[in-house]
Amino acid sequence: MPEPGKNYDAYLAGERPPDFMTLSGIELKEFYTAADARRADGPPGEYPFTRGIHREMYRRRFWTRRQQSGFGTPGESNRRMKFLLGQGQTGLNCNPDVVTHLGLDPDFPLAEGDIGLAGTSLSTLEDMEQLFEGIPLDRVSTTIIEQPPASAVMTAMYLLTARRRGIPEDRLIGTIMNDALNQLVGPTIEAVARFFPVEAAVRVGLDVMEYCVRRMPRWNILNINAYNMRETGISAVQEAAFALSLGADYIQRLLARGLGIDDFAGRMAFFCAMDIDFLEEIAKLRAMRRIWARMLKERFGARDPRSGWFRAAIQTSALRLTAQQPLNNIVRATIQTLAAVLAGAQSIHTTSYDEGYALPTEESHKLSIRLQQIIAYESNVTKTADPLGGAYAIEWLTDRLEGEIEALMKKIEDNGGFIACYLQGWVEKQVNEARYEYGRRIESGQQVVVGVNAFREEGEEVKLNLFRQSGGMQAKRKRYIRDYRKNRDGEKAARALGGLYKQAAAPEKPNVFVPIMEAVAAGATTGEIVDTLRKAENFTIRL
Amino acid sequence: MTAKARPKVIMAKLGLDGHSNGLRIVSKWLQDAGFTVVYLGLYNTAEGIIKAAREEDARIIGCSFLEGAHLYYVRRLAALARKYKMEDIRLVVGGTIPPGDVARLKKLGVCEVFTPGTPRSTIIAGLKALS
Repeated sequence: MPEPGKNYDAYLAGERPPDFMTLSGIELKEFYTAADARRADGPPGEYPFTRGIHREMYRRRFWTRRQQSGFGTPGESNRRMKFLLGQGQTGLNCNPDVVTHLGLDPDFPLAEGDIGLAGTSLSTLEDMEQLFEGIPLDRVSTTIIEQPPASAVMTAMYLLTARRRGIPEDRLIGTIMNDALNQLVGPTIEAVARFFPVEAAVRVGLDVMEYCVRRMPRWNILNINAYNMRETGISAVQEAAFALSLGADYIQRLLARGLGIDDFAGRMAFFCAMDIDFLEEIAKLRAMRRIWARMLKERFGARDPRSGWFRAAIQTSALRLTAQQPLNNIVRATIQTLAAVLAGAQSIHTTSYDEGYALPTEESHKLSIRLQQIIAYESNVTKTADPLGGAYAIEWLTDRLEGEIEALMKKIEDNGGFIACYLQGWVEKQVNEARYEYGRRIESGQQVVVGVNAFREEGEEVKLNLFRQSGGMQAKRKRYIRDYRKNRDGEKAARALGGLYKQAAAPEKPNVFVPIMEAVAAGATTGEIVDTLRKAENFTIRL
Repeated sequence: MTAKARPKVIMAKLGLDGHSNGLRIVSKWLQDAGFTVVYLGLYNTAEGIIKAAREEDARIIGCSFLEGAHLYYVRRLAALARKYKMEDIRLVVGGTIPPGDVARLKKLGVCEVFTPGTPRSTIIAGLKALS
């Protein structure tokens, strides 16, 4: 591998890739010809949608620019969201903090150090109102990054915020992520199961979906979080197979509730990573679209073509960010964002170059939007749909990935589906092996990372203007929640929580979404509501 | 091998930050390099880690941070180590740490800070020198 100072030698030796494998370990040939690209898919917008879910793709409408944001208090996050919209962001993507993700309030004993750090702290309905103050909920589409059971509380808060502004729920546009297994840091039992029983979380997630299917026609009920799985270091094949298999699990559970496939399939979507392997990542999304469409039609009998649309929200991989020479990350993000566009993504979050150190600043957030705008408006790749369709290597890789993804899906299916494999610990084993392999590949130089294991600058001093949390934010939130509980109508909240408990503890496990909404409206907090669900499940947090 | 030849390291994350890629990978590296790793994993309190370090008679506490709670928790760990007069314990931090905070952590008593991209050999040599 070339090292600084040895570049002349590298040139003489023939500077070239260390091997010819994709990140998934697929060996690429010297070149591809028409004989390698046998498959003839229909045009974009036609089954099985390999070339894209719409005929015209970005000619008619660009992907949504949807940068994730959220930190500190709801008021601080509101200002950042307005800033992003002002820069030309076209959708919101709001991330609650880990305290909220876990269904806790800021005064939970282990929470204080983490309040507001990597998301915004959302405990009460007035928090949500403040987060969306001045933002037209019926005109901006919003993704709320939240896992069940907290996703039920967040959906309820959002819906009630809209209702108080006179916007009926059937006009809300957006997505609740609602994936029970992968929100935190990918599918590890260690991360997920300590604060809520996994199967009950899946059930509450389904309760939310069921409500949204029946009452909120423009709202997406699920965004399967393949991204967080991928960020553990698993391959494109594993990411795709895990996500699609999990999709099948959710479909089966929704069908079991008596919903029709065409009533909800078109409202399910995926959140995928764009890693740095340009060709493989493009082929991955094409293969996922093909598999999903076929599965919906052939296995689940969907008739509405929209039910077979594999819709993908994309985030450029943060795993590839380097702390060394951080400006290099802008180049990586450009390659990844372009890959997402050439792959036909529906929305894109471009990870900011400074996120190897902290949350993005306003400046780096803005640069991510500009990066997308330059691709959208200047590069002209948006002027024809699926410009890479028919490229021999791309078509060959698409077929090859499709085969490998389906083989792995079959293995998962034979073991009872993704959720069963997760509960049995099989998924966690795959994840841990992938993590060690990821470390080994970088350590051995098999995976070259510029600035890290090659072209490293010893003694490099990184000078970045980094994001800083506002002083005293955590103490302020803790004080807020205590004062809030003191000042509200405590009896009203307790009554609503009692109603929720009764419903949640009932042996036939009826849908808990409406009582959760009533509890939110009555002033109960995120932590109190999820605690009530914990109690109904006889679950205690063990620390 | 004697206990000294297999120095004992507690590996843990504090608070609610669940990002454990780094902790997992480095724990494996240390194990392979001959350290005895006590893997406490996620969701630890400073009190719990100090208790484990005392019970296990560990030489090194290794903590990993991603979301930005490093100063908050290292202050607590350092205060507890002082309270229990654990003069021999060595605090080591890894993870996503802004450059300006490295000196702050060292001032609080952290011996080594390993930010992303640190080679395996540097981490192992650093910990061997401490043990």
